[in-house]
Amino acid sequence: MFKSHKRRAFSVAAILMTSALALSACSGGSGGAGGDTASTYDPDEKVTLNLAFWGNDVRAAFYDEAIAAFNEEYPNITVNSSFLGFPEFWEKRQTEAAGGGLPDVMQFDYSYMRQYSENGLLLDLDPYLGNIIDTEPLSENILGIGVVDGVTTGIPTSTNAWAMYQNPKLLDQIGVEAYEGGGSWDDYAEWMQTATDAGEASGIYGGSDWGGRIQNFELQLRAEGSFLFSEDAEPGFDEADLTKFWEESAPLRDGVVIPQQRLEEVYPLAGFDTAQTVSELTWDNFGAAYLGGLGESYTELGLVAPPVTKEGAKDLYLKPSMLHTISAKTEHPEAAATLVNFLINSPEVGAIFGTSRGLPASETQLEGAKLDGLDAQIRDYEESIADRLGDAPPVPIIGAGTLEEKFRQIGTELGFGTMTVDEAVDQFFNEMDVVLNQ
Amino acid sequence: MTIENTAAVTQPTTAGPAGDGSAPAVSPRIRRASVSTGRQRANRRENVAGYGFLLPWLIGFLGLTLGPMIYSLYLSFTKYNLFAAPKFVGFDNYIRMFTEDPQYMQSVQITLVYVLVGTPVKLAAALGIAMLLNYRNKGSGFFRSSFYAPSLIGASVSVAIVWRAMFSGGGPVDTSLSFFGINLGGWVGNVALVLPMMILLAVWQFGAPMVIFLAGLKQVPQELYEAAEVDGAGPFRKFRSVTLPMLSSVIFFNLLLETIHAFQVFASAYIISNGSGGPAGMTNFYTVYLYKRGFADGQMGYAAAMAWVLVIVVAIIAFILFRTSNRWVHYAGESK
Amino acid sequence: MSTIEVDQAEAFQVQTQPAPRRRTIKRKTVNTIIWFVVLASITAVILYPLLWLVVSSFKPSSEFGQNPGLIPDNPTINNYIKVVEGIGGIPLWRFFANSLLIALSAVVGILISASLAAYAFARVKFKGVGILFACMIGTMLLPIHVIIIPQYIMFQKLELIDTYVPLILPKFLATEAFFVFLMVQFIRNIPRELDEAARIDGAGHLRIFFSIIVPLIKPAMITSAIFAFIWSWNDFLGPLLYLNSPEKYPLPIALRLYNDASSTSDYGATVAVSLLALLPILIFFVVFQRFLVDGVATQGLKG
Repeated sequence: MFKSHKRRAFSVAAILMTSALALSACSGGSGGAGGDTASTYDPDEKVTLNLAFWGNDVRAAFYDEAIAAFNEEYPNITVNSSFLGFPEFWEKRQTEAAGGGLPDVMQFDYSYMRQYSENGLLLDLDPYLGNIIDTEPLSENILGIGVVDGVTTGIPTSTNAWAMYQNPKLLDQIGVEAYEGGGSWDDYAEWMQTATDAGEASGIYGGSDWGGRIQNFELQLRAEGSFLFSEDAEPGFDEADLTKFWEESAPLRDGVVIPQQRLEEVYPLAGFDTAQTVSELTWDNFGAAYLGGLGESYTELGLVAPPVTKEGAKDLYLKPSMLHTISAKTEHPEAAATLVNFLINSPEVGAIFGTSRGLPASETQLEGAKLDGLDAQIRDYEESIADRLGDAPPVPIIGAGTLEEKFRQIGTELGFGTMTVDEAVDQFFNEMDVVLNQ
Repeated sequence: MTIENTAAVTQPTTAGPAGDGSAPAVSPRIRRASVSTGRQRANRRENVAGYGFLLPWLIGFLGLTLGPMIYSLYLSFTKYNLFAAPKFVGFDNYIRMFTEDPQYMQSVQITLVYVLVGTPVKLAAALGIAMLLNYRNKGSGFFRSSFYAPSLIGASVSVAIVWRAMFSGGGPVDTSLSFFGINLGGWVGNVALVLPMMILLAVWQFGAPMVIFLAGLKQVPQELYEAAEVDGAGPFRKFRSVTLPMLSSVIFFNLLLETIHAFQVFASAYIISNGSGGPAGMTNFYTVYLYKRGFADGQMGYAAAMAWVLVIVVAIIAFILFRTSNRWVHYAGESK
Repeated sequence: MSTIEVDQAEAFQVQTQPAPRRRTIKRKTVNTIIWFVVLASITAVILYPLLWLVVSSFKPSSEFGQNPGLIPDNPTINNYIKVVEGIGGIPLWRFFANSLLIALSAVVGILISASLAAYAFARVKFKGVGILFACMIGTMLLPIHVIIIPQYIMFQKLELIDTYVPLILPKFLATEAFFVFLMVQFIRNIPRELDEAARIDGAGHLRIFFSIIVPLIKPAMITSAIFAFIWSWNDFLGPLLYLNSPEKYPLPIALRLYNDASSTSDYGATVAVSLLALLPILIFFVVFQRFLVDGVATQGLKG
C-alpha cells in the first residue's frame, strides 16, 4: 500500500538541504530541478519510494536483501517494491505512462530508454551525477550509455557483451573439440557442420542459425565500419546488405543447424538450454539461465568470442543489461537518486546479486561481488575482448524491440522454408517503414 | 380500477414501445380518457420499472463501457503510441490493414479457420456430452466435474505447458498416433499442425457450453418426453421434436457466444506461442496480432482500427444470427 | 399439453401393460453399464492432460524441456515446498485469500446486477428496450485490450489504482453482458402465464421478479455463479493493471511470477502453483454443479 505522501513546505526542506554541506560537491547546478538545493539529500525527511523491477522470485529475494541493506544506511526511506514478469512489467509501465503514474525508481530496459526519455517520462539525472550519484566507479563509456539526446536519464547496473557459449559435456559426448572463438563466420559454420555430423544421430546439433538474431547482423555491419541504426533512426544498411546476410547463412539452414521445428517446440528456451546444441551466440549474461535450464547434470559452460568478419575489427560493444531510471514525476527525486546510487554502486548489492543482472558496471560494486565459477568466467571474457570493443551504438531507436522481434520471426520462417530470402528482405524493410514512421 | 388495468394489460402489445396515442378527437371524453390514461399509466409504469431494473447496467454501460468504446473508435483514426498525444491520420490505419500488411491477412485467415471449424465441433461435443450426462443423475456428478475441469485451467500458463507437452515430438499424442502408424512428430513446431492443435485445445475446453446445455436440458419438462413416448417416439424422434426445440434458445445462446469468443481467442494462443504468434505466424490470431501491435509495438491506433473491424464483422454475424433465430428458436415463455 | 392428459395416459399404461420386469431391469442395467463405460473412456482421454499436469508437478524444472512422458525421472516435492513459501515474502495463502475475496464479491455483484438487467430486457416493455438490448450485445464484441486503457485512465483519475474497486465495481454494474444475456434466454423460457397470474393477484414487477422469476431461473443463476467465480479467479489482465502491491496480488499474477522467461523459468513451481490454484475452483464447481440437477422449471408447470 502506498502511504499518502506527507507534503512539507519546500522552504523548510530547502533550508535543511542547503545546510547539509557534507554532500554538496556542486556540479554547477545545471538546469535540473530547482537549482543547487536539488543535488543534496535530507536524511531526516521520512520518505516512501516505489521500486519496480522485472524478474522472478529469486530476483525478488535479492532485492529484498538489497533494500534491507539500503535501510541500514538510510532508515528514513521506506521502499515498496513490486515486480512482474518481463512482458507484464512493460504492459503495466505503458499503461501507467498513458495514465501518468510511473513508479519512482525502476529497473529499466535499454530498448525502451529512448521512447520514455523522449516523451519526458524519465527524470534528468545530470543534476545528481557527481554528488548523490557517485560517478567515480563508473567509466565514461558506462555513463555515456544512458544518455538520450544529450540528457542522462538512466544509469546501467551492469553490462554484457555478445559471446558464444558452448557445452563442454555435450562436446565430450559427441567427441568434438570446442571452438576456439573468433575466426571467420565460415570457420564457425564448418565447425558447426562437424559437430552436427557427429551428434545428429543423438539429436545434438552444432548450433543455431545466426541469421535469426539481429545482433549478428549488427556485428557484421560494425566490423565493416557501419552500424545498425544511427541516432536519427537512419539504417546503416540497405536491401543488398540484408540479402547478402541471409543468403550467406542459407546453407546453415540446410542441415547444419538445429531444425526449426525442434526450436519451436522448446521456445522460449533455446536449443542450447535444452541440451540440443553445443554452441549458441548470445549475450554473455545468459550463462546463469542456461545452467538453470540445463539442470544439475551440467555444471560448466565454455565461453569464447564470436566469429569476426574482419580481423582487428572493433565490432563488439558493451551493452547495458539493464539500467535504473527515475520517474520524471517523482515527488522525491533526491531520495530516489540515493536509492539508485546504492543499487548501482554499493558493494553489498554486488555481493547480493553477483552477476544475475549482468557484470556490475560500477567498480565498487564489482569488487563487492564475489565472482567465481561462471561469474568469474564472464568477467574474464569481458576483459579478454577489450581489444575488440568499439564505441557503443546510440540508445536503440524507438521500435527497436519490434524490429528485433520481426527479425527473429523472419529467421524462423526462413528456417521453416516458408519464406524466400527476397520475401524476407521485403517484409523486414516494410516493417522498418511502418515502425520508423510512427 | 382493476377492470381498467386488466384491459390495459391484455391488449395486444407486440410492438416495442407501447402507446399508440390514437385517441380519437371526437368521443365521449370521459371513458376514452380514462382508458388512455390507464394505458399511459401502464406505459409509464413499464418505463419506470424497466429503467429501474436496468439502472445498475445503465450506469456500468454509460460510465465504464460507452466512453472507452467511443474513445477507442476515435483512436482508430489516429497514430497513438501511448506516450505522446494521438495524431489524427484519417483512414490510414484501415488502408494499411488491407493493403500493406500480409501478417494481418494471415491472421484473418487463421482466425476464420479457427472459428468455422472449432466452434461447431466444440458445440457438438458439448451438446453430445451434456445429453449423455442428462441421461442419468446418479453418478453423473463426477463426470460432470471431470468434463468441466479442463476449462478451469483456462488461460493460465499451465495450459501452455501441458498442451505443448501433449503435442511435442515423442509426447502422448505423437506416441498414440504412431501406434496406428501415423508418424506426425511434434505438432507444436509444425507449421501445418499447430492450428489443428489450437482447435483441439478449444474443443477440449468444451466444459462451459456443456454446463449451459445441461442447465437447458434440465429445464425441459419431463412430461414432454413422456408424452412423446406415449405417441411412440423413439430416441431420435424425441431428440428432434422435443429436445432440440426446447433447447433452441440455449443452442442459440451458445452458438452466438462461442462464435464471438472464437473470434476473440487470445490468451491460449498468446501463452502457448509465448507471445510470438507461433511457428510462422500460425497462432497469430486476430486479437493476438492486435495485442502485439498495440502493446508490444506501441501502435495503439492501428490496434484500435483492427479492433473495430472485428467489431463490425462480428456484429454483422451476430445480427444475422439474431435475425435467422426467429425461424428456429423457440422460447417457451413466449407465444409464437 | 395438459397434465391431466398425461396422467391419464400413464395410468392407462400401468393398468393394461404390466411391465415384464426382469427384461426391463436387465436392459436398464446393461444400458447403465454402457453409459458408464462410454463416459469413463471419454473421461480418460479428456482428463489425461490434467493427470499429466498433476504428475509433472513432481518433476524438477529442468525435466520439463526434456521429458514429455508421464513418469518423472527424478520425482521431488520441492516444487510444492517452494511454492507454499510464497514469493518475495508473501505466503501463498495470502494470494489465495485475495483471489477469494475478489471472486466472491464478483459472484454477488453479478448475480444481483445481471438478473435485474435481464428481467428488464426480457419482461419489461419499456421504451428503448430494443436499442439498449443491442447495445448490451454490442459490448461483448469489442476486444477488451482496446478499452482497457481508457478505463484505466478513468480509474486512475479517481485515484482507485491499487485497490480492488476497479475489479469489483464493474461486476455490480453488470458490465459482463454474457451473464445478462444468459439470464435473458432463461427468463424468456418461463411461461408468461405465470407472470400474468401473479399480476392478476396484484403483483407488480418487483414482486414478480423476486417471487416468480428468480426461483425459476435457478439453473441460470447457479451457472452464472460458477462462471463468475471461475472467471474472476482466473482473471489476469485486470489485476495486472490495477494492482501494484504484491501483497494484493491474486493468484494468476502470483503464478506468473514463478515463470519469467528472461531469467530461469521455474516450470515446476509454475505447475505446482497452478494446480493449487485450481483446487478451490474445482471444489466450487463440484459443490455447486449438483444444484443444476433440479429440473426447477417443471415444478412451476405442474398444478
